[in-house]
Amino acid sequence: MPEGGERCPACQAILRSGALFCPACGHTLNSAVAAPARQEQRASVTGFAENWDELKRVGWLFGLLLGCSFVFGLVSRAGTSPWSMVVVSLVEAFIVLTAVGLRFSKLRFLFRVHPIGLPSALRLALWTSVFVALMAAYFWVLEHMGVPMSSASEPFVRAGWPVWSMLLLISLMPAFFEELAFRGVIQSSLERVFNTRDAWLIQAALFSVLHLSPLVFPSHFLMGLWFGLVRRRTRSIYPGMVLHGAWNAFVVLSELWT
Amino acid sequence: MDKTWEIDGTTTVKARFGAFGKKLISVNGQEVHNSRKGVPKEGIAFALPGGRQSVLTRTAQFVGAPEIDLRVGGNLVVETGKKPIACAACGTVAKPYDRFCGKCGQAMPTAEDYQRRKHVKNATGAIKWLAAIFFFFGIVMFFATQGQATVALAKLQGMDAAATYPTPIEGRTYTVGELRKQLEWEPRGVLLVNGILAAIMVGLALWGKRSPLPAVLIATATYAVVIVANAISDPATLGQGWIVKLIIIAFLFKGIKAALALRTSNA
Repeated sequence: MPEGGERCPACQAILRSGALFCPACGHTLNSAVAAPARQEQRASVTGFAENWDELKRVGWLFGLLLGCSFVFGLVSRAGTSPWSMVVVSLVEAFIVLTAVGLRFSKLRFLFRVHPIGLPSALRLALWTSVFVALMAAYFWVLEHMGVPMSSASEPFVRAGWPVWSMLLLISLMPAFFEELAFRGVIQSSLERVFNTRDAWLIQAALFSVLHLSPLVFPSHFLMGLWFGLVRRRTRSIYPGMVLHGAWNAFVVLSELWT
Repeated sequence: MDKTWEIDGTTTVKARFGAFGKKLISVNGQEVHNSRKGVPKEGIAFALPGGRQSVLTRTAQFVGAPEIDLRVGGNLVVETGKKPIACAACGTVAKPYDRFCGKCGQAMPTAEDYQRRKHVKNATGAIKWLAAIFFFFGIVMFFATQGQATVALAKLQGMDAAATYPTPIEGRTYTVGELRKQLEWEPRGVLLVNGILAAIMVGLALWGKRSPLPAVLIATATYAVVIVANAISDPATLGQGWIVKLIIIAFLFKGIKAALALRTSNA
């Protein structure tokens, strides 16, 4: 070990007393001491510029969808018309399809159908039942707390639109395009920057906050987690679309029933 | 404002930014620059012992204090902080100019990394501020809304719940019963909504200690959504408190970029 005032044999920097490594160049001063192990590079890190591009992509998609919600919200202040919902749905569909189209080569794997065995299907059905029960319980609690619940189907019922149009516009289209946006573009982009778990958590958080009402943040966060997990496990976007569409249809039909 | 940079074991640079624009730079106690003129764009150049060229620059920031940097031979120098720098691997105290830990040989963070950490700390600080703002705003608005609701409910007293309230509210007609329900819910709703937001921000602040980038990303998205949701319910809120909103968003955005750069440089 060097005495104070000695110099590093590699870079000639002045060494402090007791140093085992040169503070200027890291040269090992005591051969009995092993050099520190190098940090392993994370497989998902591709450099600042690429990561920043991925985050900008997520930011743009999220921002545009939020902008649509903002415009729709302002228009709704004058009275919610089913036609305004049609227009907003079409604009959002265009935005999402453009985002998917620009990244299709990297998202192609999500559009494959992977057959699942009976045990996996049963497990999926079981956990889906748990998920539906939790969601129903959460909204039941909100309703019994006196939270005024807005009805998505009310403008359609008032305007005399048929049930199939409500299922299409409130259940199926949002399910399809939200899955493409969040579990498709956003989760895939985030997986290039973060590890799989963090990407899963972030996309679920973004999905929940895009619904605007903090009262549904917890439920929709869980929803985002569940759909994201299904997407990860099945390596396909379709099961999430089916589950999401089924849940939305359940909500619409419950509203119409009551 | 005083700043100190230890360049090596024998050279220390001190800069003092006093009142009325006074700038005093000294090297090992000897004054090398003393003026009240503004710092030029290219910075204040001076020489260190051994002929090393140094430049002190002052960069105005969109939010926060201007960044004052010292570069020696083109390389950014780590500022000597109030707390001593410790190696993240073994905890040994190191000098600001050490590039490797003398005890375990681990690479020390670069000066750029320290700058990014400061931006990340500002961003996670902004998340904590948001948590506090939502918490206190929720409590204040609960009492304010409760007062307003009590006055409005008194006006509805004695009216039949099934009757239609004569005056439309925001273009919609309500029954008296619906209005009563709405008024009873509002104070609780304000408290609950702000409570949820405060809890989210607290959760993100805690997550941010371990993983700042995901936490700051979600906090930015959540805050943007809150601004939009408030603007939908009352468009006038877009113009209210815009300076504070801008500052918070600026800190969060800088934090995202800095956390990403830090993450990439540490990989």
